[in-house]
Formats: sequence, C-alpha cells, structure tokens
Amino acid sequence: MKIVVTVKLVPDPNAEKRIDASTKRLVRTGVETVLNPYDEYALEAALQLKEKVGGDTTVTVFAMAPESLKETLRKALAMGADDAVLLSDAGLEGSDVWATAKAMSAALKKVGFDLLLVGGLSDDGSTGATPGAIAEYLQTPLVTNARKAEIVDRKLKIERETDTGYQDVIAPLPSVMTTALTFGEPRYASLKGIMGAKKKTIAAMTLADLSLDGAVGTAGSKTELLSFAPPPVRGKGQLVEAADGAAGAKAIFDFLKERKLV
Amino acid sequence: MQNVLVYVQHKGGSTPKVTFEMATQARKLADQLGGKAHAIVVGAGSSKLAETLKTYPLDTIHVNDDADADAFLLDPVIDYIDAAARAIGPALVLVANTLTGKDVAGRLVGRLNAGICADVTEFKIEGGNVEAISPKMGGAAITTCVLKPGDYGVATIRPNAFAAEAGGNASVAAIEKPAGKTYSIVVEKDVEEGTGELALEEAPVVVAGGRGLGGPEPFDTLLKPLAAALGGAVGASRAAADAGWVPYSLQIGQTGKTVSPNLYIAVGISGAIQHKVGMRSSGTIVAINKDGASPIAEFSDLMVVGDAFAIVPELTKLVTASKS
Repeated sequence: MKIVVTVKLVPDPNAEKRIDASTKRLVRTGVETVLNPYDEYALEAALQLKEKVGGDTTVTVFAMAPESLKETLRKALAMGADDAVLLSDAGLEGSDVWATAKAMSAALKKVGFDLLLVGGLSDDGSTGATPGAIAEYLQTPLVTNARKAEIVDRKLKIERETDTGYQDVIAPLPSVMTTALTFGEPRYASLKGIMGAKKKTIAAMTLADLSLDGAVGTAGSKTELLSFAPPPVRGKGQLVEAADGAAGAKAIFDFLKERKLV
Repeated sequence: MQNVLVYVQHKGGSTPKVTFEMATQARKLADQLGGKAHAIVVGAGSSKLAETLKTYPLDTIHVNDDADADAFLLDPVIDYIDAAARAIGPALVLVANTLTGKDVAGRLVGRLNAGICADVTEFKIEGGNVEAISPKMGGAAITTCVLKPGDYGVATIRPNAFAAEAGGNASVAAIEKPAGKTYSIVVEKDVEEGTGELALEEAPVVVAGGRGLGGPEPFDTLLKPLAAALGGAVGASRAAADAGWVPYSLQIGQTGKTVSPNLYIAVGISGAIQHKVGMRSSGTIVAINKDGASPIAEFSDLMVVGDAFAIVPELTKLVTASKS
C-alpha cells in the first residue's frame, strides 16, 4: 500500500511573527523554516498505519515549496518516511488555495497513492480548505479530523472529531484523510533515522511535469491579497491595584459597564 | 457575483448561532451587490429549521429533509450546495468557520472553481468586488482578500463577528435531490458530546483560568459562576490543561483553541505567547493577576492586580445583581 503525506514548510511557529508592510509577506529572515507542526501529526498517523498494515507499505512525503527549502524535508525522512517528492516552480509563487489545490492535485495524481494524508491546518494563516479542494480535484473521497484509523479489508475505518462530538465512518480506498491533533504526538527522529535520511531520495517535480490547463501562482489565482498588515496595536491598558476583593470587582464592573459589556 | 448563498450547518435541525449571523450578513451583502440572499439546509430536521430561518432577512431557503445527508459523510451535502449554487449563478457562498464548514468550503473551492477567503470578520464591497477582512496567524496580521468578481466565491465566517438580526419573511422552496449520485463514506455512528454547554469558540464571553488558580476546584467554584452570570463559557491556559485541572478541550492558545469573544477575562494567566495567540483578537481583554508585571498586562485593556479568589466572587455578585 502506498501512503502519501503532504507537508507544508512554514516559518518556525514558536518565533514571534512579523509582517513586512511593503511586500505584504511574512518576514522569514532569521526565522528557521520547519515542517508545519500540524503536518507532523499527519506524518505520525501515516507511520503508525504503515506499522500496522506492514507488508510492502511505503510512506512518501510530498511538499510544494521553493527548491531552497529542500533540506527541511529531511526531517520528515528522519522521522521514518521512505522518500519524498518536492514540487517547486517559480510559477507557483503566490498561489491561493484554489491554485495550490489545482497544482498539488495534478502532482499527487502523478505520484499516485492508496491513502493520501493532508495536513488539516497550517500555522501560517491558511484556511483549512486545501484538503477539501484537493479531494475534489482528485475525485477521491475525503474523511477529515481522524483521531483513530485502521485499515480492514482494504477499507478505512475511522473515528473522527466533529463540531458536536465524534463519528465512526467507513471509507473506501483510495481516500484522502486529514488527522486531528488527538491522533497522537509526532515521534522524534532517532539518530539512526537522521543518518538514514541523508541517503533517501527527494524527487523533484516542476509545473512542466503537470500539464495544467491554465496558470497558477499569483496570475492564476481566484483571490487577491489586497493587504497583509500588522493589526492595530493593542496598547497597554489601565492598571488598577485592588486593595481587596470588593475594590477589584468594582473596578472591573465599572469598566465593563462603560464598554456596555454588562 | 451578485447573489449570496448561506450553507446552514445543523444536526437534526439544531444549528449554531453563527447561522443567523450569516443570514443577516447575507442580506446586507446581497443588497450591496444587487442580488438575492439564499440559504440551503439539507438533512433530517431541515424543514423544521427553515421555519426559524425564515424569520431572518433571506429571500429563499432551499430545503430537503433527505436522510442521505446524515447517513453519508458530507458528499450528499456538497452535491446539494453545488446544485443550488449553479442554479443561482456565480454567487458568494457563506459557510461557518467550523470543522464541518472548513470541509464544505474546501470542497466547494474544488467543485465550483471558486476563490476562498477564510475566517472573515468584516466585508467591504468596493466597485462591485467583495473584499473580506480576516485576522490571521492568531491575530498577528490582518488581511484583506478580494474575490475575483466573475467566479464563484467562498467565505468562511468567524462566529460572533457579525450581528444576527431577525426580521423578514423568506420563502421556503424544496430543492430536488441531485440525480445519479452514489455515496461511499458511510457514517456508522454519530455521537454528541458535551451538549448543553456553550461551545468555547462560539461564546460571546470567555472566562479563562491559568496556573494562578492552583488546582481544578476554582474552575468550578470561581470561574463557572462568573461565566454563567455573563452568559459565557470557561476556558483555560495550557498550564491548567497540562496540569490535568481541565480537559484539553478547554485549552486556549497555540496548541489549543482560538477564540475571539467580545469579552475575555483572564484569571491567574500570565499571558505567555502560546496563550496570547489564541485570544488576542478578543474585543475587550480584562486580566486579574496578583503579579502586575506579568506579560498579560501588555495586551489587556484592564489589568487588575489583586487576589482573584476575593475579586471573582464579588464580581459575579455585581454582574448577577445588575441583571435583576
């Protein structure tokens, strides 16, 4: 069975984010690029499924990112993925969700899969909509927010989180799946894994390999980012030293009343 | 794009209040764009829900009580929305920014070749173009996303960002089941958990506790009564969840939930960056902390330095008294 996991490469989420007002882009200088933390959960799910299914099951990692970020993919290989595919092209720059899904689905069709795991959310301000759009273009069933998954008789049995609780669902293969953070903490790469990752293959793909019927990137996108700005600065507010409970409560109550919040 | 279509997420006819916020906003957008405001509701309980929805300022509500919408995962729902959207022409589809809403929105981007603007808190119509404004990266940035006018557009709507105002008399129309479809993902079991409590992301007021509370009991004895008096929900910092004082479902922050209530009251929370990104786009932030130098002072509208165990019960009394 072939499991493919898509990962996004994002600026380290633990670093405080800054926006360059002129380029409307995130300042990446001095900030390390890492695997999107949510995608590490999807990769963990893939590796767990590989261990359970066994046999000739393989895990391929797929990313759409500039070629310069190639080495970041080694982290996924060190965690246990067998190989990787990197789709890079200047024509992809500035792609919105629609264009990203269009390009990724064309590439993923070429890569081929029995099960495709797509990170549900990304830390750098995406929409959570990409997996759904990819599933549509691949015309493949989509099951989201899985917290448990097993493969029985070539069917996917999933327990998934919903807005109101959880559901048990059964999906056919091939399918597209996203995982919830409750699936399990991502494993650490072992020293052996890190050493082994250096020898694993990262195959390159470009737009020329995809024969898309129109432009992607900024030009082909369905949305335009008009502005990307830091929020209005929330100034330091009032500070009140409360002598006792009643005084503190009154200070808060009066403040809420003034703002018509009570 | 002139018309607006609201996808109504519900279970057995019960829907989150963001539905009514979207119905109200749909009217405003449709008026500015010179089109109509539609809604679509499918699955068991839809007709019943349409009776309530009808009192909001929509033009047409498309309804089908089709049980397949509940028996199979999402595919039937997407086919219905697709059919409704194609019948009314290039439209702006509004979907709640919930787990289900994100799935629906993504599917529609692919199905309708649509652009998407996510987690929208404000709209502007400029020269017939729809501009959608959203906080991103836990409030670190504000973006304005413009949808291409000739195409379909999708916007996911943040709960609590728009007002819900009843008033209207929409017509309810049956929508035909899309023909020739087979569905492959079977829902075997659908379990509701934690009902009766206001969902954290939807609550207009959040009262959150942290390490300073010292244990699990104050969440029940101190925070719950205040949250109840204010009509809100209780949340927690990561420290409190990690200590096992509250379930992780209450955790607000980078690895937990993102909330943006009108009022956020942080009790005994220091305000580390991990917490800040989950709540900084709240309307008003009030902090109660015994340490006036804690980081939360830097982004609170009001910081009260004092003993939370003494202040919170008194505040609950004041709020309760003001309502009677």
